[in-house]
Amino acid sequence: MKDDVVIELKNAWKIFGTKADEAMQAIETAGIGKTEVLEQYGAVVGIADVSFNVRRGEIFCIMGLSGSGKSTLVRHVNRLIEPTSGEIWLLGQDVMKLSPSALREVRAKRIGMVFQHMALLPHRSVRDNVAYPLEIRGESKARRWNVSQHALGLVGLEGFEDRFPRELSGGMQQRVGLARALACDPDVLLMDEPFSALDPLIRRQLQDQFMALSEQLHKTTLFITHDLDEAIRLGTRIAIMKDGRIVQIGTPEEIVTNPADDYVRDFVQNISKLKLIYAHTIQVPIGDYVAAAGEDLSLSPRVSQDVDLDHLVDVAVTTNQPIVTTDEAGTEIGVVSKDRLLQGIKGGK
Amino acid sequence: METNVEIQSVDELPNLDISESVTEFTGTSGKYYAHEFGRVQESSSGYCWTFNLGSALFGPLWATARGLWGLFWVFSVLELIVIVMIGLGSWGDLGSDQFARAEKLAGNYERMMDRVESAIEQGDEEGAASFRKRADGLLKAQEKALAQAKEAEAGATRIFVAGLILLVLVKVFEGLVANIAYERQYTRWRTDKKVRSGFNWSNGILGAVIVSFVYVVTLMRFTSGNPPEIITEFPIDNTIYLQISAWIDYWFDIASRNFAFLFLGISRTIRIILDGVETLLVGTPWPVVMVVIIIFAYRSAGPRVAIFTAAALCYLAVFGFWQKSMATVALLGTASFLCIAIGIPLGVWFARSQRAYAFARPVLDLMQTLPSFVYLIPIIAFFGTGKPPGILASMIFGLPPIIRLTALGIREVPKDVVEAARAFGATDMQILRGIEVPLATPSIMAGVNQTIMMCLSLVVIAALIDAKGLGYDVLVALQYAAKGQGILAGIAILFCAIVIDRVVQGRFKDTEKGG
Repeated sequence: MKDDVVIELKNAWKIFGTKADEAMQAIETAGIGKTEVLEQYGAVVGIADVSFNVRRGEIFCIMGLSGSGKSTLVRHVNRLIEPTSGEIWLLGQDVMKLSPSALREVRAKRIGMVFQHMALLPHRSVRDNVAYPLEIRGESKARRWNVSQHALGLVGLEGFEDRFPRELSGGMQQRVGLARALACDPDVLLMDEPFSALDPLIRRQLQDQFMALSEQLHKTTLFITHDLDEAIRLGTRIAIMKDGRIVQIGTPEEIVTNPADDYVRDFVQNISKLKLIYAHTIQVPIGDYVAAAGEDLSLSPRVSQDVDLDHLVDVAVTTNQPIVTTDEAGTEIGVVSKDRLLQGIKGGK
Repeated sequence: METNVEIQSVDELPNLDISESVTEFTGTSGKYYAHEFGRVQESSSGYCWTFNLGSALFGPLWATARGLWGLFWVFSVLELIVIVMIGLGSWGDLGSDQFARAEKLAGNYERMMDRVESAIEQGDEEGAASFRKRADGLLKAQEKALAQAKEAEAGATRIFVAGLILLVLVKVFEGLVANIAYERQYTRWRTDKKVRSGFNWSNGILGAVIVSFVYVVTLMRFTSGNPPEIITEFPIDNTIYLQISAWIDYWFDIASRNFAFLFLGISRTIRIILDGVETLLVGTPWPVVMVVIIIFAYRSAGPRVAIFTAAALCYLAVFGFWQKSMATVALLGTASFLCIAIGIPLGVWFARSQRAYAFARPVLDLMQTLPSFVYLIPIIAFFGTGKPPGILASMIFGLPPIIRLTALGIREVPKDVVEAARAFGATDMQILRGIEVPLATPSIMAGVNQTIMMCLSLVVIAALIDAKGLGYDVLVALQYAAKGQGILAGIAILFCAIVIDRVVQGRFKDTEKGG
């Protein structure tokens, strides 16, 4: 299981300011808070005591509002920002111990990054933009052209390779950004709010495209977003950040059904639960149900306990009977009545 | 949203009650000011008839105590004019010069009459007549001087009266503008509590000290017949100036003697580059150079610039400026080349290091603002005269723009693009070559263009230290007031500048299109 962890942060802190180290010491010894750090040391806490790990093939979303430190956090993984204290592990290597050249090697070969504002090179063609990571590594032109063509194919941008980025729409530009990140076939994708600057329709299209690509390529992805809907759509697991700290880590369903505090609860309140909550979460064990109601369940429809509420609603409109759920073997194990279903849609259990 | 205001016609709204905040602002006499400010605010033009007695009486002192320093200066200058007029009118010796002269003439007349009498005693009739004639002349002159002195004294009365009238007017003015200005200060204070407010005795006293000092010293200067020297001349002798300039001379001599090898080395290096360029431009047959320049202009800036270039080159050739203009262009080319070769790396460095730029900035400012004649002096001291020193002088002037614009261009490269390159493992050098310099190219090219123009303007001045070229012709024409020659040579320089500017800008636009 341990080998499967691709990215791991242990107690990472980042404090901005000239007196960052002194402030860090004071936090460790005296345990002072964010406001005291600002008052006494003129330093700003970027991220505070962040620990998490990302497993191979997983899309790990970090969700937080602006200023919560999520963009700072993602830059720690490839050390674009140096942590004030803490450990960072990537693919079994201690990133903090890498020499400058080894770090560049890791950045060039292991990590692909996508940025909020695309950050394409305006003076280079789409092809040269996509091939830029290979150019840095000193690959031949023939190989660069070959690889960039392949990467542009992945994102569906064939035929645009000789254009300049400014000739493309925002959505297309970000696909170039994605192709650039994928070009060197990295193990890890770092995506810093890649779709935030796009309008909602294009954003949705790109999310779908990204999910399709992700299923195909199985890249371990650290995905930053300020949009909980996006995090829930894409994320295998989600971490919610507030004021530089992670307040909750969990699967979308865990976050929605079991928010850790009022802050998270506020967020998930307006999220549609239909595709997040599954029958096994809201079902009543069949024994209990029969004992209490004594109803005859022979006419009830049977569904797998792993279907989501959306599916349950579809089934419920065809019958007046409660729905019986089954496990993989087909054994009847639970019952979902209309009351339970409606409560589930509202987010209760 | 709920409101507790009944909706009514806007015209019926009562005025806001500002008396509390006005009292907080003025500190004292809040009631009076609240009333007056209310009146000022009611007037649609922002002006109304409101008279502040305190301001009228104390003028500048009232203004400082209330923190209105702008008004303080206006009031004190006006009062100063009035006081000088009254002072001159009442005790200034306006006729004193003429009175003194009249007295002297009277003395002379007495002495002349003595001589007339002694001549009569000696029986010298002729001599007596001529002396008497002279004495009459003196008498007339003395009478005239007396009349003038009297007239001046009468003038003094007029000045005195005018001063008094002006005093009244100034006081009325002070009373009228005070509340209007103070109301504006109050409006500023509402949004910015750092604006001076309240009645401040110490400011008033400071104002009184300033005013009395200025009034007294100025009165002394204008009303006294011969004011004390200390107020008309700065009390210092020029030995300090001489000592320090001698000390600078001394160090210049030492530097030029001890570092002669360095200066010679710089001189020789420049010479070698210059000789190369000069051979290329002057040594090559003129038809070849001409054709090459025209084709280059056509390729980089299009047919219109090429036609203009051809015409300009014909002008140079026809009026016999060919050799000289090629020599000028060689000087210019060498100077600009060196500027660019030194300036771009420096610009890159300054873009990277905030601290280095902070140190370099005053130096760059100095290089651009120091009059060119001033730095010609040390250049002559260290490098002598001739072409290499001329090029050095041009470089002092030409370096700042390329350095500044390179640094500016590199700083303005989007940070996220640089970050992206770093995220893909680029080295600093790869970022500089592949991203920063290409993206800063428009700015750098603008710097190159400016540098060339700066160098050209100085290449002409460098003729003063024997750098030859077209500038020399202008210099000679200046010395002999030869208008025609001067204008023709000047136009030749102008043509060189325009051709170079157009060709370089044409190339610059080219790269913009490509980028």
